[in-house]
Order: sequence, then C-alpha cells, then structure tokens
Amino acid sequence: MDFKYSAEEQQFRDELRQWLSENLPKGWGETVFEPEDEDEMYLSRLEWEKKLYKGGWSGIEWPKKYGGRGATLIEQAIFAEEMARAKAPEGLNIIGRNLVATTLLHHGTEEQRLRYLPKILSGDEVWCQGFSEPNAGSDLASVRCKAELKGDHFVVNGQKIWTSYGQYAQWCIVLVRTNSEVAKHKGISFLLVDMRSPGVTLRPLKQISGESEFNETFFDNVEVPLENLVGELNGGWKIAMTTLAYERGPEDALGRQIRFKQELDRLIHTLSQLQRNDRAIIEDPVVRQKVAKSIVDLEVMRLNVLRRFSKALKGEPRGPDASMVKLYWSHIMQNMYEMALEVLGPLASLTEGDSLAAAMGRYQLSYLQSRAFTIYSGSSEIQRNIIAERVLGLPK
Amino acid sequence: MDFDFNEEQYVFQETFKNFLSEQYPLEKHIALVDSGERNGELWSQLVELGLFSLIVPEEFGGLGMSFVDMALIMEELGKSLVPPPVTETIIASDLIARFGTDDQKNHYLPDLAEGKLKFSLAMLEESAGFHPADGETTIAPTVGGFVVNGKKILVPQADAVDAILVVGKMADTGNLAVAIVAPGSEGVALRKHSALDDSCYFHEVSFDNVKLAGEKLLSSQGSAIGERLFDVSAAINATQLVGIAGRMLDIAVDYACQREQFGVPIGSFQAIKHKCANIAVDVDGGRSAAYYAMWTIAEDAPDRAKAVSVAKSFCGEAARLANNDGIQIHGGMGFTWELGLHHYLRRTKVLEYSAGDVAYHRERVMAETLAELSL
Repeated sequence: MDFKYSAEEQQFRDELRQWLSENLPKGWGETVFEPEDEDEMYLSRLEWEKKLYKGGWSGIEWPKKYGGRGATLIEQAIFAEEMARAKAPEGLNIIGRNLVATTLLHHGTEEQRLRYLPKILSGDEVWCQGFSEPNAGSDLASVRCKAELKGDHFVVNGQKIWTSYGQYAQWCIVLVRTNSEVAKHKGISFLLVDMRSPGVTLRPLKQISGESEFNETFFDNVEVPLENLVGELNGGWKIAMTTLAYERGPEDALGRQIRFKQELDRLIHTLSQLQRNDRAIIEDPVVRQKVAKSIVDLEVMRLNVLRRFSKALKGEPRGPDASMVKLYWSHIMQNMYEMALEVLGPLASLTEGDSLAAAMGRYQLSYLQSRAFTIYSGSSEIQRNIIAERVLGLPK
Repeated sequence: MDFDFNEEQYVFQETFKNFLSEQYPLEKHIALVDSGERNGELWSQLVELGLFSLIVPEEFGGLGMSFVDMALIMEELGKSLVPPPVTETIIASDLIARFGTDDQKNHYLPDLAEGKLKFSLAMLEESAGFHPADGETTIAPTVGGFVVNGKKILVPQADAVDAILVVGKMADTGNLAVAIVAPGSEGVALRKHSALDDSCYFHEVSFDNVKLAGEKLLSSQGSAIGERLFDVSAAINATQLVGIAGRMLDIAVDYACQREQFGVPIGSFQAIKHKCANIAVDVDGGRSAAYYAMWTIAEDAPDRAKAVSVAKSFCGEAARLANNDGIQIHGGMGFTWELGLHHYLRRTKVLEYSAGDVAYHRERVMAETLAELSL
C-alpha cells in the first residue's frame, strides 16, 4: 500500500497541467464559463474534445495502436484530477469514448476498431446508446427492436428510449432482437447503426430538470450492413454486459467523484459566506453534521475507486462488482444534492435567474438532475439484485 | 500508487482468519464470557502466533511491521470479537515505540513483543467529550516523579492487566501525556461497570494522588501523544467495526440461503436481497475508509486526523446497518439470546461509542475540511 506517485506519474501530471493552462481560456471557471444555451453548450464541449485530441490528450488509456497513450489506470486517475482542478469542461462524446471504444476493444474486429476508434478519438463521430426500450427497462433482455438478416445487411425495426445525445450523434450502439425462438438473452445482437441512415427518426424528451438531453429513437426499415455486427449473431447480451460494466465501473465513478467534490467545496464556500441568524450558515452545528456526512461519503467514493484500480492493475477481472460502485455513488450523490438544498433553508427554492438564488441556482438544477442517478445505467433495484445474486450468491 | 495489500499481508490475514475460525468461533467466545475467565488460552495462542511482536521494532525483539500490515489482522480480530486487552496492548506497543525513552523502550517492548505484558487504556471520563483533551485528569510533576488525579470510565479489563495507559493533562503545561499506572498502585480504585458488552470487563478507575516515578510517564512535543492515542484507537475501532459488519453480512447471507418460508429460501426474496446488498456496499466502503485510515496511522500522514474521522464515522454507521438488518433478516431467531447475534451488536455499540462516535468524527471532518479550504 502506497499513496505516493512515481516520478513518471508526476511528470505526466506536470505535462498535463502545463497543457491545460495553455489551452483553456484565461479566467476559465472563474469569470469565463460554458455557454448557457443547451445546444451551444454541448457543441462547445465537442470543440473542447477536439482540442484535447489535437493536444494528444484524448483516449489516453487506449492502446497506442489506436491513437491512445496506453495510459495506466493511475495516469487516468491523475488525468481526471487535473481536468477537475482546471475545471475543464466535460466532453460530449462520453458514450463514444467510455462505452463504445471499450466495448470494441474487447469484442470488435480489427477492421471495426480501425474504422471507428480514430473518429471517436478525434471527436468527428459522436455516439449514443440504444439499449432501453419502452418495454425493456430494468428487464433489458426483453428488447423487442427487431433486426432481420437479409443477405449482406440487417433490416431494423423498432423503438429505443432515453437516447442521450441522440441529436448530436452520428452513430448508435443498438441492442436488437435477432431470434425470438430462444431464451430472451440468447437472441440479442449488438449492432453499430449509422444515425444518418434512412428510417431513423428522433423525438426529444424533456426531463424533470427542463433540459432535453435525451430522446426517443425510432427505426423504420433501417438497413445496417452485416459488417456492423459486433461479435456473433445472437451473442449481443454478453457484449452489452461489458458495456454496462464500464458504464457502472470505477473509471466512470472517478470522473464523477471529482466533479461532485468541486460542487461540494463550492457549497461549503457558499455556506461560509451566507448569513443566517447572525452567523455564517456553516457555523450551525446541525448544518455541519449534514455537510460532513457528504464529505465523508465522497471521500469513501474516491477510496472505493482507488481500491478497484489497484485490483485491476493486478489483473483482477471486472465483473458484477461494478454494481457496488454505481449503487454507492448514485445514492450518496442524491443525498448530497438534497442536503445542498436543505442547508440553504429558505433560499432553497430560488433557481437560476433569481437575484437571490444561492450560488447562482446551480444546486437546484443539480438536485433535479440527480434524481436520474439511481435510475440510469440500471436502477438501484437492479443493481441490488445483481449484487445479491452475483456477488453474494443469494438464490435467484 | 497502490491501494491494496501485498501477498504477505494477505497470508497473515489467512493465518489469523483460519486460527480464529477454528480456535475462537462464536461458541467459544460465549463460553469464555460465561466462564468469567479472562482471555483463557486465547491470549497464549495469540502470543504463539506472534501477534504481539508484529509492530514492535526489530531491535526490541519484534518484527517491525506497520499498521498497514496490521489492518487485515485487526479486521479479523474484530470479526471474531476477540476481547480486550488484545488491541489495547498493541496500541501500547505503538505509543511506547514512538514516544518512549530508550529506557522505557528497553523496559517494555521486549516483554510486550513476547506477550508477557497486558495493557489497558483509560481515555473516557463521565463529564467529558470523546477527545482526551476534554478530560479533567491531571498529571502533576513532583520531586522525582508525577502525581495522577482523576477518574476514568470504561477502562477494559482494568483488573486483569499489568498496566493502564492513563491519558491526562500535564498540570504545568496543559499538554496531553500518558501515565503508565499499575492497577494495584496506591490510590487506584476500581469499580466494575455494568455495561453492554460483558466480554470487555469495563471498569471505572479513580486515581487519587497516585504517585509515579518519572519513568512511568510517556510524553511528547505538545499533545502529539494524546492525539496519536486517540487516532490509533479510533482507526483500530473502525477496522474492527467493519470486521464485525462483514461477519454479520456473511451470517445473514448464509441464513437467507438456508431458511425457507413460503416453500423457498428467504434469500430469493428481493426484500431480503436488497437489505444484504445494502450491507455489502457499506462493508465495502467501510473497508476502503478503514484501510486508508490505517495507512495514515502507519505513515503519520498529514491527513491522518481527517482520514481517521472519515473511517470512524463511516464504519460506525456501516456496522449499525449490518447489525440491525442482519438481526432483522433472522426474524424471531435473531432476537433470541441463544443464537448469539447480540454479541456482535453489543461489541458494535461499545466500539461505536469509544474513541469518538459518528457525530464527533463528522464535526472533526468538517473542521479539518474548512482548514483545508482555508475557510
């Protein structure tokens, strides 16, 4: 056990820090922020991703062969820390980089990797994820969106839902039903679908936060070439599990932990400035207990991730354990945002745009967004089933 | 950067795990408590395994290991409800090795390494908070020595140890120091408490003008020794708490796989599964927190206070959940004296309310964080 960084790791950090100071606008995160308009914000995030790519800082963990740096998990951790320290924007192609690329690295053919990975890296092709359907949510294996193989191509018909970033995406990973005669998870295939194909339509969905990040996606006789099948025909379930293991895993959690930590630090600053009953809110012992609980929870989230990185570095396979990571962070973060409103007291209801809103109303939006944490990438109920059955060995 | 134990550390864990599951299962613990005997043969068996030599420096006959090496072992000791003064004696070795004079080290450490000495700790007081600095016990310099005055509560096995480490304030400087007091010394009075966990043999110990020779005082720059005693105790308690929580999870899962109702094992019901999953997540987080705290103790890292308080507050709550829901999963059986789950519950409560409870450590985390943020 050792929490010190090696000279190489330190050099990696210095180099990145230098690059960030040269490439983020002056005053970034202090006086200069992301655009307020949702569309503009997402497009500015894509621009940022392209800039990272030009600087050689995109897909750092990928093998060098596909344009990455072959960065270790520890370097990935450093990367996440430094991006957060600089308050660098998130990217737009999160699904492409974190889910599609890792899935193709595990299960794709060499042709598929060479075709798709470079454009994910460069930000030229943004990806979305077509897993959930109106009648296949927690019961994901019951997907009905159908693909029929006709010669050298599939014909896809059906509907997907909760398609985040669908409006910005060129490509979509889609779980389709290719056999209805067998047990439901044995008849699923994993396709790469071009969103510009004839027959693909999108309908935006408005979320409880008022934003429209996600969509319904309809496939109407969409032709998909056979070479866009990942893995074997009817072998898609296992591949989807790989995708989900990354979606729920420690790399994802680390990036989030650092952003959440910034939010919490900012809350503490706000509570030190705002007065209530003639003292700073942070002087109130009840408030201190609540804030401290979130500090503790977030620190444990960080340590959980580091412990898993160390296990992974020793070659331990990732598996259902990812559900523990996701179940934990999703609940502590919901608690944190709920707490953030609670400690603001009478100001809690004031949102962005009101002159009295605390911290420009950021926590109210985050609070609304946080309701999704325990639903997406597998609801908490599903994560608990996975932990109980596949980690603890309780009977089905 | 490596947040994992090495192979040797896992081997040590296995050794203690196997030993305790064979030689000190719950039935044995219950039998020992019922007999009123103190450690019985357990102490000598632990001596044989070398437990007390592990953190004693090599030049004094120990293995010179650190609290990182001890972390998994402490978890196992917690899991098996190994009673005091085992961890207390190990804490004494750490304090003497770090703060003792050469004479004190030569006098105590070789015997500690061989398990020939048993130490208890006296930290809490009736009308004080959890931190030793809140207490009123004084250590006053006199000609050729010191005089201790005060009253401590919840001193484990006070009547069956060779010495008690009594933390108090120096009457002249106000700094914390630690007096090494034999329980039979003149002016020391013991009263056995009625307390939640009978296996701890808690005592109230009064010190009425107890005169000590100079070599019985452990002191440090400022109050460093008191701070370390508190942090080491809290970190070890947190590690033991997560051990108990893990044991309770195992017991509950086993029971849920075997116990049938409505014609199926109750573990097939989501109501039970989800309780078990929640405990598993808390045990996992508790391990992260406790192991990191043990590392900061071993390294005397600058974030030691915060890391220890993160661990003690988190593990305190984790153990609560594991015990409460672990018992709930057992239904009526869980409430019986005979099944014995209450032994875990009782030890949990005792550990939870020693060396700072959840609220105490949260406040400390808050204060440390504000200092970090320069607020």
